[in-house]
Amino acid sequence: MEILDKLVNVALIAATLRTTAPILLVALGGSFTTKAGIFNIGLEGQMLAGAFFAVIGSIWTGSAFAGVACGVAAALAFALAFAVLVVTFRANEVVVGLALNILAGGMTISLMKAIFGTRGSIVGHGIVGLPKVQIPGAQALLGSWAPLISGFTPIVYVAFIAVPLLVLFYNRTRLGLYIRVVGEKPEAAEALGISITRVRYIASLLCGLLAGLAGAHLSLGYITMFTENMSSGRGFMAVAILIFSNGDPLKVLAGCLLFGFADAFSLRLQTFGFPSYLVLTVPYVVALTALFALSYRARPKIIKETLASMQKLLSVDRNSAPVDKNPQ
Amino acid sequence: MSDRLRAVSGQVIAVGVALLLGAIIILLVGESPVRVLMTLLRGAFGDQEKIAGTLLQTTPILICGVAACIGLRGGMFNVGIEGQLFLGGFAAAWVGFTFSLPAGIHTLAALSLAVVAGAAWVAIPAYFRARYNTNEVVSTILSNYIAILLTSYFTIFLFKRPGGWSETPPILATAYLPEIFSFSRLNWGLAIGLLLAVGVALVFRYTSWGYGVTMVGSAPKFAEYGGVNVKRQGFIVLLLSGAVGGLAGGVETLGVHHRFMEGFAPGFGFDGLIAALLANGSPVATIVTALFFGALRSGSLLLEVDTSASREIITVIQALIILSVSAQVLVRRRGDSQAGERRWKF
Repeated sequence: MEILDKLVNVALIAATLRTTAPILLVALGGSFTTKAGIFNIGLEGQMLAGAFFAVIGSIWTGSAFAGVACGVAAALAFALAFAVLVVTFRANEVVVGLALNILAGGMTISLMKAIFGTRGSIVGHGIVGLPKVQIPGAQALLGSWAPLISGFTPIVYVAFIAVPLLVLFYNRTRLGLYIRVVGEKPEAAEALGISITRVRYIASLLCGLLAGLAGAHLSLGYITMFTENMSSGRGFMAVAILIFSNGDPLKVLAGCLLFGFADAFSLRLQTFGFPSYLVLTVPYVVALTALFALSYRARPKIIKETLASMQKLLSVDRNSAPVDKNPQ
Repeated sequence: MSDRLRAVSGQVIAVGVALLLGAIIILLVGESPVRVLMTLLRGAFGDQEKIAGTLLQTTPILICGVAACIGLRGGMFNVGIEGQLFLGGFAAAWVGFTFSLPAGIHTLAALSLAVVAGAAWVAIPAYFRARYNTNEVVSTILSNYIAILLTSYFTIFLFKRPGGWSETPPILATAYLPEIFSFSRLNWGLAIGLLLAVGVALVFRYTSWGYGVTMVGSAPKFAEYGGVNVKRQGFIVLLLSGAVGGLAGGVETLGVHHRFMEGFAPGFGFDGLIAALLANGSPVATIVTALFFGALRSGSLLLEVDTSASREIITVIQALIILSVSAQVLVRRRGDSQAGERRWKF
């Protein structure tokens, strides 16, 4: 029991919320593109670019918030490139997304070498991290549970507040509706005179905005440093979440909490002497298992749909081509 | 023929645009593009050792490229070649240092296990892709991370060479892939890669199975009406692709490192995928693109020494090439309606 107490406590829940924030932000960003009918595997690169330029901005201006703005701007540039290639040139989403990820990886390392003359990571150099927000009265109200609502960086709050906002956005605003129509029934959108191109551009850029925030959280949040490929697959996990949540903000939140917990828990396990290499696989294994399990669960629907479409096909056959059915 | 000529010239123009963009980025990081280019050329083709070094880098890229081609032909994005490469490499090394067998047979046994390991690693994503249509791009990418961590765990916790640093014991000399020249580590793995590329191209061109795979890749519905079992075919295609990915790892350990080391082959899987994309899924054209990327990689080693630029600048150039190729291929379809069926919808 003592071990369990050490493993699961308020600190673990608070850590879960912290580790959930970046993946939640990037997944919510991806929800815009998912809803608009774009498969965006480039989240990873946008996040990485955001993390790197947030550090650069923070060093240059001496202000964490200016750093965040720089990170967001870089992620937006990547999102814009993605939109230009995928929406305007109609290039393959997977190819463009993967190439932009590779570009982000190579570019950040090259620039790191060019600016700081080092490889591996940027530490120090006057990076200013984000301040922690102490909510007044939290201590008095919740006592030892106060760390659950107080003492996070602003981006963590933004991430969690974004969830209900996105629910409202998709259900109550015109743009949200347009995005959904473009994703689900592009033909209908076109018939209604909605510019698919414009909506998909807006969705891509909104996605870049949140992915940039997520990246800034990685490098200016709890650790104020940048390391090579520091997004370490979180963007891909976000894509996995998007596949089985279909971009619905509440389901995205549920999936992200699962990964945040897996992340925080595996860090905790490491301190108990489990081999770090195996512990580090935990979040990826959780992501894959969830992906496979939920696609297995979706199976009856697929079968039902296949049957329905077969029936439709057969009935059409019977009506339109009765001549074939006649014996000679 | 003129169609093919136009396709090739299109790729060449795209590469040119990318190199131009690359030059601008090199200027931005404070280096001279001409100097970087000359250093790259000198590093890749400067003397016979450098040329052999380029071919040495080409080998794994070529084999991974063929693996990617098999997938692309069948409409499957195997982004997990990197992971299959790592597991194949470890499996080959394990056979190499655990058993003692006669020369030749030992090499074959090690390569066979590498092939099996690569195929086994992709089997679960392949099964779910075929059976439940689970997006294989995401599942194979995520499995890369697991494969790399897993092989590191094997190496450091289970099979560490006493006194060594994150590497397994060396493999026995009987399992080596022999070297071609005395002055370089270039080995017969290159021949394996070339034979594989030509062999796979012939299978695609002349067998009905290969025709079926290409059909599934380009027009799955048509193939299904034509009587191809699309699901089974997809599963087999991914499995074969994974097997070749594993082989690439085996060739790398048996031919070059003679042991398994943590991070022994960084990025070859992705380079192979890019080479295959640039070659538009043709294994024979992949020989050319793999050589191109091999030269870039080999040249970049000197880049780090002779200029202030980082060797990752070549990764930037590769990514730019793929981006401009992906854009130009579709320029002619620009006027289409945006509402058409999208393949990667989920």
